[in-house]
Amino acid sequence: MSKTTIKNEQNFIKNKPYYEPVGDEVAIFTAAYENQLPILLKGPTGCGKTRFIEYMAWHLKLPMVTVACHDDLTASDLIGRYLIKGGETVWIDGPLTSAVRHGYICYLDEIVEARKDTSVVIHPLCDGRRLLPIEKLGELLEALSSFCLAISYNPGYQSVLKDLKQSTRQRFVALEFDYPNAAIEEAIVIKESGIDESMAHKLVKLGHMTRNLKGNGLEEGASTRLLVNAGKLIHSKVAPVHAVDTAISQALTDEPDMFQAVHELSRSIF
Amino acid sequence: MSNQSRQNLLYRIRIQKDLEKVVGPALNRLPNLDTIISMIANLSDPQQVFISHWAGLIADSNTELAAHFISFAPKAFDTMVDADVQKWVDLFLKKYDNHGLGKAITLLEDISGFAIDQENKGVRCSLQQTSLFLQHFIRGLGGRELKISGNDETYTNTEGLFLPESISLFPQPKQNFTIYKLTAAHLWAQTWYGTWRIQVLEKLTAEYNDQKSLNIFNRLESIRLNYFIARDFPGLSREFSEFENRDPKVVALWKLWQDRANGLRSPTATAVDTIENIHHFLDIDLPVLQPYQGEIFLDRIRETMLSRIEQEQIAFQKSLDKLRDDNAPKDEADDDDFVAKQMLEVSDGDSGEGEPSETNFQLTLDGQPIELSDDLKNLAGSIMQDFGEIPDQYMDPMEQGEYSDALLAQNGESEGDTDPDLNETGTFQYDEWDCTRQRFREDFCTLRELVVPPGDESFISDTLEKYHGALRVIKKCFEAVLGESRPQRRQPDGDDIDLDAIVNAHVDMTLGKDMSDHLYTKYRNQERNVAVMFMVDMSGSTLGWVNNAERESLVLLCEALQLLGDRYAIYGFSGRTNKRCEVYSIKDFKENYSLEVRQRISGIRPKAYTRMGVAIRHLGQMLQKTHARTKLLITLSDGRPEDYGGYKGQYGIEDTRHALLEMKQSGVHAFCITIDSEAQEYLPHMYGTANYAVIDEVEKLPLKVADIYRRLTT
Repeated sequence: MSKTTIKNEQNFIKNKPYYEPVGDEVAIFTAAYENQLPILLKGPTGCGKTRFIEYMAWHLKLPMVTVACHDDLTASDLIGRYLIKGGETVWIDGPLTSAVRHGYICYLDEIVEARKDTSVVIHPLCDGRRLLPIEKLGELLEALSSFCLAISYNPGYQSVLKDLKQSTRQRFVALEFDYPNAAIEEAIVIKESGIDESMAHKLVKLGHMTRNLKGNGLEEGASTRLLVNAGKLIHSKVAPVHAVDTAISQALTDEPDMFQAVHELSRSIF
Repeated sequence: MSNQSRQNLLYRIRIQKDLEKVVGPALNRLPNLDTIISMIANLSDPQQVFISHWAGLIADSNTELAAHFISFAPKAFDTMVDADVQKWVDLFLKKYDNHGLGKAITLLEDISGFAIDQENKGVRCSLQQTSLFLQHFIRGLGGRELKISGNDETYTNTEGLFLPESISLFPQPKQNFTIYKLTAAHLWAQTWYGTWRIQVLEKLTAEYNDQKSLNIFNRLESIRLNYFIARDFPGLSREFSEFENRDPKVVALWKLWQDRANGLRSPTATAVDTIENIHHFLDIDLPVLQPYQGEIFLDRIRETMLSRIEQEQIAFQKSLDKLRDDNAPKDEADDDDFVAKQMLEVSDGDSGEGEPSETNFQLTLDGQPIELSDDLKNLAGSIMQDFGEIPDQYMDPMEQGEYSDALLAQNGESEGDTDPDLNETGTFQYDEWDCTRQRFREDFCTLRELVVPPGDESFISDTLEKYHGALRVIKKCFEAVLGESRPQRRQPDGDDIDLDAIVNAHVDMTLGKDMSDHLYTKYRNQERNVAVMFMVDMSGSTLGWVNNAERESLVLLCEALQLLGDRYAIYGFSGRTNKRCEVYSIKDFKENYSLEVRQRISGIRPKAYTRMGVAIRHLGQMLQKTHARTKLLITLSDGRPEDYGGYKGQYGIEDTRHALLEMKQSGVHAFCITIDSEAQEYLPHMYGTANYAVIDEVEKLPLKVADIYRRLTT
């Protein structure tokens, strides 16, 4: 079986991603895009940030380049580097440069995970200049008008080493995300996992129960993504309580008392 | 006398002499001493040694108790295995230590009770084992926070669930565990499905305040609750029926009640309907309660509810007043009349069905929906649990003059007090932010740096002993932080070749530039560059448990920090009025974790008040002077800022917040660890939403502090 490799420029989102708007985020994103403003998506894990950006890429009909940031991501990983081919040096654009050059959406996921110096290279791109300096080429690359930069971060992290600098965050239009309300979340779980309405209702109820525990033994409650995962297992004929144990409880905690609490909560519903 | 019996006699006399030696004359005061001695003589040698050994030890504390022990020891060996006898000794000695001689002797004499208890041990489930689970479970179910505690009677007062200390109703521990869960869930259902709405309470008190009616009410209400539980929690409902009483007579009687009260098994039935059914049941037998059912104590519920309702109304109205203020247009904000006239309305969504739900609660101001803070949502949820709605009068603006923490005029130190000598070394002057004037009061606070007098060092060794298991875990976690090695690229030498660097060098070479010799990757533990200042609340309110927990936390933290090599300092703060603010040095950045430091930790004692702003400014400045990349100011506290002369409520919070903002601007991260359960009300405002942690049990503070520190700095 061969897999196809997708090049960045071909990474159009062909099928409309399923996204259930909760407020006016689509209108605000569109307005920011039209005004060439970069966008910051804040919110807890698994609440739909990435799905939203995919939806917007589809909506705006632009290819999308995603970079999952990690703590060893350097500026040249974003901008590009010289490589050697047959004794010759060849410049290869990094994902950010290629998005700037061709006018794509560039999405830097979990930006706070990247090294501090890395986030600084995006500064000139994020203000009125819309320029990307490429030091090694001695070039200043001007962004095409269709280029759009979006970053995401989870403000719930308590590490002081993982905070977004003011100088970075004050360049963005910020959209705050949270878990959707019960009705929308049910619709999402049904659509994504294929389970019926009553099962989705129970899963969402369980989700709310775990969110009651946030800050009292759990760092985070179950995200919409976890609920969808559990729903998928249930749809594939895994017994609901077992599906919740594996997809939700174990994912949330290692503490035996807490695991048991979530386990018993799910048993009481199903 | 035969040789045999002569020997026996000698043997018994020897035993008696031995025991007299350790217990003294108290032994001879025992009635039927001869019988006891001959019973001891019949025990095995190790058992005899055990008795004389422990009699000696017990006699060191109390000879009377030792004599009692001797008189009951033979019976103990007779009824129990040897290992349990040891437990019996441990138990009554513990009783003696904590409750005195009388209680210890009662326990000591009840050998058969103890033996039965030991046998049950295998099946018993204790509240201590389950309380943490139950707390999580009940929290997960939702609604007002309910505290789990042990009690001889099983009931709820709408703010706590009172459960037996242990349950051994069923032969399997797991079953007894389930009974705990079901009992807690059933009591929770009373608070959630409106058994204790205020109108129900009033009606019951007025018309049915006799034990018979309450018993009927309890059973009928259980029928109604079981219907709701079956609808919303089918899994729980299945377990309820599994554990119900199987006696055919009981089953039949419950069936009769259920049939007669069928109207209560409907989604629209409320507890008021239950009350109206009471008189239909006066003439038939009362079924016994199911194992998971609790009792009802109307007076306890009444007391708790009335005091809560009063407090919550004030808190709610205060929050709404603040909302009105915040949402008033700028030019109208000062006009009290305008602010009061804004129309606040509440809609409680589509929950219906007798079930309160804070998530469906929506508030509108002049028709515009308002985003509510989590606290206000919880408060509204709790009010709806009591009333089923938000009563109209709760939406009215508060009468003037009811603020308890309104802004008061800030008065300086009264004239009678002399100014401390500013020329004295270790005295500093600081500004204080006055939110009413929106400007600083210059040099308003005088702060002195003092040193904590050394305390008893045994506190340290006791703490290390007490937490030696936990400390091992903490150290392991900290070591893991250190163990994370990261590749350092472009090094002149190292463990591996840096391909990127080689390619770059090649490019440079081809282009005719200088080639770099930094071509290696080095795997080395990254140097931590963290300086942290711990600011410990030494206000009077920390007296007792909190102070102990704070000191224990510091001991564990210091032990763990030795591993990381982070620079750290510890200061306490307190004071009384703006002229006598004090910080107490426990360890400065340059000091090692020496004997003196340990003694000072042990010597931390509660002092006066909590004027936080000035302490933050002073300690923050010290922190700024260190050359670390990450600077962290961690406050250990038990409450909101408060001091003499108006430094409380909003004034104190705003000054503290301002001081923290000043720190933030100069690159110091601030974090607060608190045990104040009301901290949600003001900490997010002061420190920012992600920059604080609330520990709900003081005993956990020592373990949590180290964990939080690790999370903060990795």
